Amino acid sequence: MNLIVRIVRWIWTVPSLLVIALGGGLAWSQATSSASATSPGASGWQWSNVSVALPTSETSFPPGDGAEITPQCLICHSAGMVLRQPPLTREQWVGEINKMRSAYGAPLPADQVDRLADYLFRINGASASHTAKMSTP
Amino acid sequence: MHRPTLMPTPMSRRSFLLRASAAGTTGLMGTWGWKAAAATLVELPFANGQREIVTNFPQKGAMLLQRTRPPLLETPFEVFDHGVFTPNDRFYVRWHLANIPTTIDTGAFRLSVRGHVREQLSLTLDDLVREFQPFEIAAVNQCSGNSRGFFKPRVPGGEWANGAMGNALWRGARLKDVLDRAGVNAGALQVRFNGLDTGVIPQTPDFMKSLALDHARDGEVMIAYAMNGEPLPLLNGFPLRLVVPGWYATYWVKMLNDIEVLNEADDNFWTTKAYLIPDTPHASVDPGQQGVRMIPINRMVPRSFFTNVQDGAVLKVGQTTTLRGIAFGGDAAVAKVFFSSDAGGRWKEARLGPDRGKYGFRRWEVMLRPSSPGAQRLMIKAQNTAGSVQPNQANWNGSGFMRNVIESVSVQAV
Repeated sequence: MNLIVRIVRWIWTVPSLLVIALGGGLAWSQATSSASATSPGASGWQWSNVSVALPTSETSFPPGDGAEITPQCLICHSAGMVLRQPPLTREQWVGEINKMRSAYGAPLPADQVDRLADYLFRINGASASHTAKMSTP
Repeated sequence: MHRPTLMPTPMSRRSFLLRASAAGTTGLMGTWGWKAAAATLVELPFANGQREIVTNFPQKGAMLLQRTRPPLLETPFEVFDHGVFTPNDRFYVRWHLANIPTTIDTGAFRLSVRGHVREQLSLTLDDLVREFQPFEIAAVNQCSGNSRGFFKPRVPGGEWANGAMGNALWRGARLKDVLDRAGVNAGALQVRFNGLDTGVIPQTPDFMKSLALDHARDGEVMIAYAMNGEPLPLLNGFPLRLVVPGWYATYWVKMLNDIEVLNEADDNFWTTKAYLIPDTPHASVDPGQQGVRMIPINRMVPRSFFTNVQDGAVLKVGQTTTLRGIAFGGDAAVAKVFFSSDAGGRWKEARLGPDRGKYGFRRWEVMLRPSSPGAQRLMIKAQNTAGSVQPNQANWNGSGFMRNVIESVSVQAV
């Protein structure tokens, strides 16, 4: 991944390491920065443009019945968010899918919810006995 | 300022990493999806807790990858042992919406102040820096769902361990001063904040948060243009971020470019439907409990952590060891930090480090000299100046918000 990062430099900034010694032989240390050497109104203050590149995800959903629906999920977020969830009950997966549809506008037809929930439960499911029912605030 | 860290002998971080990579793990992530090439993995201590340590996000060092797009990056916990200010390049990252500008033209950038005001403003970055009295404050920024991964039973969401928080010295202009420049009209009720990020599809509600007018004008809420003496990393909100000391990070709107004074209650999705907590002590309910009144999340509660000792650490009988960590008081300063070496039987006050601001992290330190071999459960709890103290029992709610149970680590004296 090529990162083009033009870091802003502020002349008034002087990073420093401050060590404060207390009694009893204990020393508290902290990295800190002093930003008050020059007031922001001074001529040393300069803004620079910033341009960055964000990495793209290389994580994919595992194959299986229903996996063909997952590109709809990837419109808004990478697959890792789903795969790193705790194992959820099928009912919880239905709740998550419907939250994506109703709250965030995921373009997922109602007749695909069950198939996608079956798929997600298969790849990352928990039996209901191990997970309490959630209230969905 | 390097000091040795008490790492658990049987599971030092190095061996932990090696174990995670070598075993391939039987979990969800073991069989597909990972870039094979030398990913460094860690195992957070909950189911499906395997995380990659990544260094490929701009202006960021090594971070735990929770989600690539939009980015969720957790601060590796050892960073908190280095000092009370969290370095910008290790500060956690949390975005809701994936349409994040990756280029900021600082000359063209404008902060607008509009709505129920006498005079609309369109401020350049230089205006903000030069025309308003600079204000500085140290404050902890903590995700509402920090530590969500520890909820039992588990709840869906960003599955953080304890690293979705950080403390910085923020510098900027007081929101009050900016609002006064615009002149808030009589009848104004709330102030709504919007940043440059948007949803990928137009159906997704734009991320906005609101504060009551009195809160917005309290003289502490500020518009930050510097973080630990440097411009904010883009992923932490460059060029401007709202800072709401003592309140959860959901209110700290990143890439802030629009401030709207409202004369009626904000009804936008993110204020009325998201980030709600049960209106109960510790925002806690029983799993499955229904019919509880829900309110917007607001003030933070006290927390404290060990930073130089982990579960499984081995201590020597008869030898004095210095244990240390950090604490913060939430919406009030840390008053006291208490330590127990017998699973909460007896508590003694820890020694506190310098006070760098009531809303920031504060160091604590205790000396421990185990007198006999065996297992010991160490506990730490903070109390703030308003009298709020960390609870013995973990709270629970369906969103995984506001965890602040007393932290503990189990060690072995030999």
